[in-house]
Amino acid sequence: MSDLTADKLRAGALKPGGTGEAIITLEHVDKFFGDFQALKDIDLVIGKQEVVVVIGPSGSGKSTVIRCINHLEKHTHGRIVVDGVELSDDVRNIQEIRRECGMVFQSFNLFPHLTVLENVTLAQRQVRKSPKAQAEQEAMDQLTRVKIPEQAPKYPGQLSGGQQQRVAIARALAMQPKVMLFDEPTSALDPEMIKEVLDAMVELAQSGMTMIVVTHEMGFARAVADRVVFMADGEIVEVGTPEHFFEDPQEDRTKLFLSQIL
Amino acid sequence: MAERPPQQPLQPPSEDPEGTLRRQTGAKEQPIIPDLLSLPAGGLRQWAKTSLFGSTKDTILTVVFGAILGYIAYRAVVYVFVSARWEVVFDGPLVAYMLGNRFNQTGLSHVNVWAAIYLLTATAGLIAGVSRANGNRTPLKVALKILAAPIVGVMAVLAMTRTITPALLVLGGIALFLVVRTAVPRLPDAVLRRAGWISMGLTAIAFFVLTGGDPSNVDKFGGLLLTIVVSAGGIVLSFPLGVVLALARRSSFPLIRPIAVLYIELIRGVPLITLLFMGRFAFGFFLPPGTRAPGVIPRAIVMITLFTAAYVAEVVRGGLQSVPRGQTEGAQALGLSPLKVTRLIVLPQALRNSIPALIGQFISLLKDTSLLVVIGIPELLGITEQVLAQLKFKAQGYQPETYAFVCLMYWIICFSMSRASQRLETRLGVGQR
Amino acid sequence: MSAATSSPSSARPPLWRDAKVIRWVGQMVVVLLALAFLWWIYSNVQANLRVTRLPRGFGFLDQPYGSDIRGSSFRPSQSVWEAFKVGYFNTIRVVALGIPACTVIGIAIGIARLSENALVRAFGTLYVETFRNIPVLVWIFLAYFVVLSGNLPRIEDALEPFGIAIFSNRGIYLPWYEAGPDIAPFLLTAGLGLLMAGLVAAWRTKVHERTGAPHRRVLWGTVVLLATLVIGYFVLGGPLGMTVPAKEGRLIQGGITVDIAYAGLTIALVLYTASHVAEIVRGAIQAVPKGQSEAANALALTNFQRYRYVVLPQAFRIMIPPLASQYLNITKNSSLAVAVGYYEITRVYSTVANNAAPPVQAVIILMGLYLTFSLGISLVANIINRRLQLEAR
Repeated sequence: MSDLTADKLRAGALKPGGTGEAIITLEHVDKFFGDFQALKDIDLVIGKQEVVVVIGPSGSGKSTVIRCINHLEKHTHGRIVVDGVELSDDVRNIQEIRRECGMVFQSFNLFPHLTVLENVTLAQRQVRKSPKAQAEQEAMDQLTRVKIPEQAPKYPGQLSGGQQQRVAIARALAMQPKVMLFDEPTSALDPEMIKEVLDAMVELAQSGMTMIVVTHEMGFARAVADRVVFMADGEIVEVGTPEHFFEDPQEDRTKLFLSQIL
Repeated sequence: MAERPPQQPLQPPSEDPEGTLRRQTGAKEQPIIPDLLSLPAGGLRQWAKTSLFGSTKDTILTVVFGAILGYIAYRAVVYVFVSARWEVVFDGPLVAYMLGNRFNQTGLSHVNVWAAIYLLTATAGLIAGVSRANGNRTPLKVALKILAAPIVGVMAVLAMTRTITPALLVLGGIALFLVVRTAVPRLPDAVLRRAGWISMGLTAIAFFVLTGGDPSNVDKFGGLLLTIVVSAGGIVLSFPLGVVLALARRSSFPLIRPIAVLYIELIRGVPLITLLFMGRFAFGFFLPPGTRAPGVIPRAIVMITLFTAAYVAEVVRGGLQSVPRGQTEGAQALGLSPLKVTRLIVLPQALRNSIPALIGQFISLLKDTSLLVVIGIPELLGITEQVLAQLKFKAQGYQPETYAFVCLMYWIICFSMSRASQRLETRLGVGQR
Repeated sequence: MSAATSSPSSARPPLWRDAKVIRWVGQMVVVLLALAFLWWIYSNVQANLRVTRLPRGFGFLDQPYGSDIRGSSFRPSQSVWEAFKVGYFNTIRVVALGIPACTVIGIAIGIARLSENALVRAFGTLYVETFRNIPVLVWIFLAYFVVLSGNLPRIEDALEPFGIAIFSNRGIYLPWYEAGPDIAPFLLTAGLGLLMAGLVAAWRTKVHERTGAPHRRVLWGTVVLLATLVIGYFVLGGPLGMTVPAKEGRLIQGGITVDIAYAGLTIALVLYTASHVAEIVRGAIQAVPKGQSEAANALALTNFQRYRYVVLPQAFRIMIPPLASQYLNITKNSSLAVAVGYYEITRVYSTVANNAAPPVQAVIILMGLYLTFSLGISLVANIINRRLQLEAR
């Protein structure tokens, strides 16, 4: 990359969208798995209420990035700051960051031995120490928001994939997070169920939630993303608004990737 | 034949006791014991034609094995009803087989034993009732199918005692179980939620009643009573230790894991008898000089506990491995502390998956209590030596009858437990995900 | 919280919240507790040994054993360690016969349980459910006290099936081979026969690859080997004889002696463990996905070919760990010989312990000896397992 493009890239990565006020900052973040470097010198700033979509081929490190943000993976070098709290070895910091970040997984990870209602209230009662009635009220509110309040007494095994993922979203939302992280939320779903989950995510974006979404759903990116980040081989290759990104990509790697998937 | 039920929404295995879900989806049914008594459509003749005389080879096999089985049945019937001399079991020594020879030295009586049994029956009814209240309906005929063999066996044995009282007491126990099971779902919710604690409390009371408040009375137990007490003690004590060991073995702490591995591999590499000998001969050496070593039976229970805990640890480790990693991550992402993640999310699922293997381990424990005879403790197998040494039975070759009776007792207990475990395994749908 | 600086390192968190510190301190505490516990035990043992004036080391191993060991040429004046060696060898005798026997019987019963014939299945189920639900020690008692010791006649009235064996309550005597003076050439011939059988098998494999005809190499190889042995036997003038046990008054001459206790123990162990092996075999065969059999049938393989090429190889891989565990069990259960007076290592230990040897050291020796078996079997099983994995990749 020429210096000019590198600067432009850094500017694009470092200029937060949304309200413009930074809520997540990644500075010079590296991640090694043994000898393999999964993340190379990642610099990124996410703004409040911004919706950032991360795309890229498999193995590009996009899942690793968001898993580092809530410490499911521990970054090797660099700094990660979430809402003013720095991610370090301090267990109190880690717990606080996890409280503020909600995460939705590709494989849902609902707890099969608890009912839907219990899934959504568990963290509220154990982590935020809410009383039972309040937790259940909040749970029902969130389940209504994702349009499946009637599933509350059932077990996850009784629900369809799309319903389970929406429960997972409600479960994360019930903790009143400041940021929602999505790790390929629709990749494990049958096609007819993808829409219901994306609808829930669009509603969430429009309500002003800060979201980082790793996905292959380009329609979603075009509709609600403030910025699109393209990663490959562990680095950020290109950052831009959806219009810029899909109409006029700059880098060759970006063009190659887009030609393969669009 | 049952009609194909209409398409129902997917149900969790606990609400699907007859496996309708599996039949709907066509998943392979795995009978652990082929149900020999079920006949396919077309009745007996059709079945005989296909499965017994299908081909020349088949016919030969049928004739040969039919002859073998027939001969075995003939000899068994002749022995049991004609040639065996059952007075060595039923004319007096029956009490010794059940309670041991020194039971009357404890000051306790049959009332204690039956009271404890009834308390435990009530507890079992409580658990069954709670499970019913939660929506698991086992039709009565299924329950009877499981219990048929042991009940018939026990009644047959009691019939040979030629007194009516034991049979009445057994029937009373069954009635109590059914009554409690029906009554419990009607209880208020607050009681049902505490059912776990109530069960433990009732069990503790049962033990208290059994020993008449004096645990040292256990030293004077013998026979089947001692077998059950030692097994129960071993199960209760080894389970938490085993869980801790399993968690330690899987922990990411590099210093804790080797300790657990060393313990588990060491214990699994030696026979139980060596540990029992250690308990018998060397236990006192491990305590500070001058302390009184505990009685023979508590020492044996300690050794059995240490032994079983290592095996329980391996079973639970398998259960822990079966919980997908995503569960831990999902819980961590919600902000749960590591302790809470293990306690609320990982361990419940791991234990649920381990239940059939755990029951198998406890059946082994019960069988292993027979080893106590080698260190001189008169449990069910050991009491035979004392019975045979009685003057009226001495040196007259009564061994076959005594051992036959002991075999029957073990068989009834182990068979019922393993049948119940298979039933539980199907119900829990372990491995179906 | 902390000020936003641009340096990569952050302010050190307080010690009690630092994740790394918690890890290490926690572990150290556990390790120290464990070590403290072990130290307490050790010092108690030393103190007790001093008080009871028992020797503290392992010197008791050099003391004379003090009794006979039936069935061997052991003399009471030999050391305890020598006695343990005899016992160790006796354990091996049980294990060496027990493992192959229980495997063969177990596989047969396991396959019987999967048979299409209902009576064969019933027999298999009867066998498994009978043996599995009764403790192994009870079977040993039955085999020894009831079947053998109780029922075998005295030497004067001993059973003599076919005139070549003798069953009495003093022992079982079976016919055995006897090597004549010129055994070496015969052994050479046998070696030659094996070599030729191998060559023939290789040749038949080549033929099969070239023409597609069934190679039947096992059949060919066996025929060649047997032919060589038979020809060699007659050419060399019959160097191998057979001794048949014969009664002379109350003594037996010739043949080989099988100790009753050994027979009872081994038979009970084999039959009991075979029931577990049967279940393992059956479970492994059923665990091979049904789709495999369906694919084999769709390819028009016969029943036998389906088993031989598709089902059994996959089932075999599944079977290895639980089978190894059963072999370990049969080894550990041989310790129950102490109940019937067969002199394997636990029986030796029991005599030593009753003769006031220092109990802690004696038990440690006993456990150590069993660990050699366990580690050996586990090692072999792991090697086989790993080799199978490699081939699967």
